Amino acid sequence: MFRRLFVANRGEVAARVARTCDQLGVTPVFGVSEADANAPYTIDRETVVLGPARSAESYLDPVRIVQAAVQSRCTAVHPGWGFLAENPRFASLCELHGVTFVGPPANVMHLMGQKTPAKKAMGAAGLTLIPGSDGVLADADEAARVADEIGYPVLIKAEAGGGGRGMRIARSTDEIRSAFDDATNESRVAFGDTRVYMEKLIEGGRHIEIQLMSDTFGNAVHIGERDCTVQRNHQKLIEESPAPVLDAEERARTLEAAVTATASIGYVGAGTMEFLLDDNGVLRFMEMNTRLQVEHCVSEMRSGIDLVAEQLRVAAGCKLSVSQDDVSLNGHAIECRINAEDPTNGFRPSPGTITRWDLPGDRDGAIRVDTHVAAGYTVPPHYDSLLCKVIAHGATRDDACDHMIAALEQLVCEGVDTTIPMHLQIMRSDAFRKNDYDTSSIPGWE
Amino acid sequence: MAHVPLTPIGEPLSAIADQRTVDDHEQKVAELEETLRIRRGEVHAGWGEKYVGRVHKKGKLTTRERLDQLKDPGTDLLEVGTFVNYGEEFANGLKSPAAGVVTVFARVCDRWCMVIANDNTVASGAWWPRTPEKIERAQTMALRLRLPTIYLVDCSGLFLPEQSRSFPGAKGAGHIFKMNSVLSANGVPQIAGVFGDCIAGGGYMPLISDRVYMTEQAYMVIAGAALIKGAKSQKITSLDIGGPEVHVHQSGCADVRVPDDEHLLACVRRDVANLPSSGAGFYRTAGAIAPLYPDREIAGLLPVDHRESFDAMQLLARLCDQSLFWEVMPEAGEEIICGVGRLGGLYAGFVLNRQGLVGNPEHPKQQRPAGILYRAGIAKVSAFSRACNADGIPLIWLQDISGFDIGAEAERQGLLAYGSSLIYTNSTNDVPMFTVLLRKASGAGYYAMAGLPYDPVIQLSTTLSRLSVMEGRTLAIATYNTKLDDDFEITSTDPEERKAIEDGMRDVERRIEADMDPYVSARRQDTDEIIALGELRRWLVAATEMSYQSIGHRRIKNPRIWSLHDLRELVGGVR
Repeated sequence: MFRRLFVANRGEVAARVARTCDQLGVTPVFGVSEADANAPYTIDRETVVLGPARSAESYLDPVRIVQAAVQSRCTAVHPGWGFLAENPRFASLCELHGVTFVGPPANVMHLMGQKTPAKKAMGAAGLTLIPGSDGVLADADEAARVADEIGYPVLIKAEAGGGGRGMRIARSTDEIRSAFDDATNESRVAFGDTRVYMEKLIEGGRHIEIQLMSDTFGNAVHIGERDCTVQRNHQKLIEESPAPVLDAEERARTLEAAVTATASIGYVGAGTMEFLLDDNGVLRFMEMNTRLQVEHCVSEMRSGIDLVAEQLRVAAGCKLSVSQDDVSLNGHAIECRINAEDPTNGFRPSPGTITRWDLPGDRDGAIRVDTHVAAGYTVPPHYDSLLCKVIAHGATRDDACDHMIAALEQLVCEGVDTTIPMHLQIMRSDAFRKNDYDTSSIPGWE
Repeated sequence: MAHVPLTPIGEPLSAIADQRTVDDHEQKVAELEETLRIRRGEVHAGWGEKYVGRVHKKGKLTTRERLDQLKDPGTDLLEVGTFVNYGEEFANGLKSPAAGVVTVFARVCDRWCMVIANDNTVASGAWWPRTPEKIERAQTMALRLRLPTIYLVDCSGLFLPEQSRSFPGAKGAGHIFKMNSVLSANGVPQIAGVFGDCIAGGGYMPLISDRVYMTEQAYMVIAGAALIKGAKSQKITSLDIGGPEVHVHQSGCADVRVPDDEHLLACVRRDVANLPSSGAGFYRTAGAIAPLYPDREIAGLLPVDHRESFDAMQLLARLCDQSLFWEVMPEAGEEIICGVGRLGGLYAGFVLNRQGLVGNPEHPKQQRPAGILYRAGIAKVSAFSRACNADGIPLIWLQDISGFDIGAEAERQGLLAYGSSLIYTNSTNDVPMFTVLLRKASGAGYYAMAGLPYDPVIQLSTTLSRLSVMEGRTLAIATYNTKLDDDFEITSTDPEERKAIEDGMRDVERRIEADMDPYVSARRQDTDEIIALGELRRWLVAATEMSYQSIGHRRIKNPRIWSLHDLRELVGGVR
């Protein structure tokens, strides 16, 4: 096992990784920006200042990070999630300079980071896809032909896209050509790349994802699925497992197919495949996140597996410590992300200093709180505003919800606005309890 | 020091050039490459539809159809020698597209192979002047890389009206069989399929191969029925004399009979599948990943006018995997970049000329033009080339060079000797070298950077390439030197004499300009292929993969024991 691990991330992520490091006897070294240099989570930790608060000059600068990792005599880098976690060039750079990247091989990460090649690979590996074009569209004629085949409405998306740019909806034959041209032009301007592809537009639907873990010996397991349907503008607010609305057969089929697909592309480490559950109850592959995710704790609560520990062991050349038969998923787990935002005011960021911070009790292991915050902490305006994640576990979904409500009532945060009231309202709502929602609305809110 | 310290290079195109310049470059290149596309089409058409029809009528495939069936589905054929004989007329006004033989690198059952296939739509696959040289060139490439070599034989023999230009000489037709023998002696697998005629000298070509297939339409003879006394009255055909009935069963000159083209190609694929698999997977240090800055941007980066400069590092950023590169000895010889990058996950050494102005170590306050070589640059290239050879790293030479430094100071510094050292290095290298004439390739620079006379495995030209001893203007000045002053202006005041000199200089320039046309080079086999800029990375990735395919015949060191690391320590100073 590595002796010193460089944590190329901040806040809650850094605190989470460090906790496992402490258990494994690994010394974590935090790369921090000037804005985080004195944050409470860095107290009693080794830190290296990467650069200014601006991410581009600190958490997003691959060369600085590799240099800092080498100079602080770390032999591995954990990228966490966000920032450079899915940057294959950063992964290569780490390996080339003698620092093990805790994540999949760069070429696999690169493959899954591309839109149509990833779809093609996953389709070939047996996953069900969202109907669409076979790769990039040649021209507007092909767009019209494919749209007729798969049926309107359709979505034309930039191959190089991201952040919703280079994306157009066509609801009928009349709109297809202008949608193709607009998407192409926007993509040219935004990404210098005119390639676009097409998918059937599935509105609403539920967002379900599968937690996967594999080693360098071709072993792969799933740690169950998570439902992340409660979202706002594609930002997940609540995640839970098992998915409350999912046919058992479809669940089993997709879990197995996902494991096979993971192994078939030579994936290594923790990863998540995201699916859309359509109106017919079919799980359709959307994309793979080639990293640990914020909501991994939900799967940890159900399985008792420490995914970060598993990641580090695999990166150090060990086989997976569990086989699929060893993975037992118990009860129901729910996670609420608590952000410094004002939910009553369009989720406006609410930076500032936290004057009081009281965490709930663990309710005999039913509650887990992951956080980097302490009283006196100032939420920096440069990064996302996550304060903590509260994860509740119960025998049933209702049990878990009840634990969550009790915990959220005990969680006190003064000095900044938080999303706690919203989460309480959701947990108490009929819409949430009776699963009457999809990705287009927040149950019990709005 | 085992790590290969690649670091990020390159910037988005929008950060290094304004859109108008990029559009302008792209448009000019597009025009040149449209010509390339049209001319390739001409060559690929052979002698045209009529002859394709004749082949089909016999129940046979055309040569290019055979190649498509032979290769792995979805892979590219990388053709060399497309333009040999291009535009040239032979006896009876006949032309010979591709010199009547298609030579391609093809992917067969996941292995790179050299395929040499007579074009049965051009004079029934006859051998023209330069056809032997073209086949021998392909065999040499296969030998250098130890690639399985496949012959698709369908050849009516020498094109006899021009026999005096293809039969004799050191590279005459018979040398093909010598090369068959040399390949065999070096353990290179050879597989031959005979699809039709295989007359006279052609008969020896398949026989030296390890496995010979014949279709029911194939025959191999020293002399065909036309030259056999009494054949007509006895109604004996060439098939009777040398068909599979004879050669597979009686003479043993062939191994296996198959009904038709499709079956034969399937058999060849089966054979290749039984050969050792590629070593590239073993030597690959990482999976193949495209450059961060896409190679399709190269056309927008390169000015068509060779006198305009561009940032050579940006070109590398569009060739190397993930735009990661290790520049070796950047402190010395700033006019030229030497370093290591990955192509398809495999290490390759790059040498390429910087353009524009660079520092002048002799006069620290001055700058001097790059695109030529000075003393330290030559020494650096030589040391780098030697190290790559010692380490087994395939070398890629990207030429955009107008020559060596000249003048009194250069001679005093001994550039002749430094250049000779480099020439010696490149001449004795046995690591695979690949040379690309990006734009200008002039004089000693062309030689120093492993131009074709220094046996690179492949030398590629682009549609921008200009290959010459010197530019036309330079030769005009040299020719009329006595009539010019120190600023190369005409000294005479006599209008008539001035005009004569001006016309003469223009003629010299025009003549040189015409000869610098890459299609002229390609016609004469002075370059192996002309490619589009957007194809460059694909070629280099393939060439590198081929270099690592066959194991055991050349030294391939792991990065821990690279002598390149020693150079870095020495040049970087003691630490």
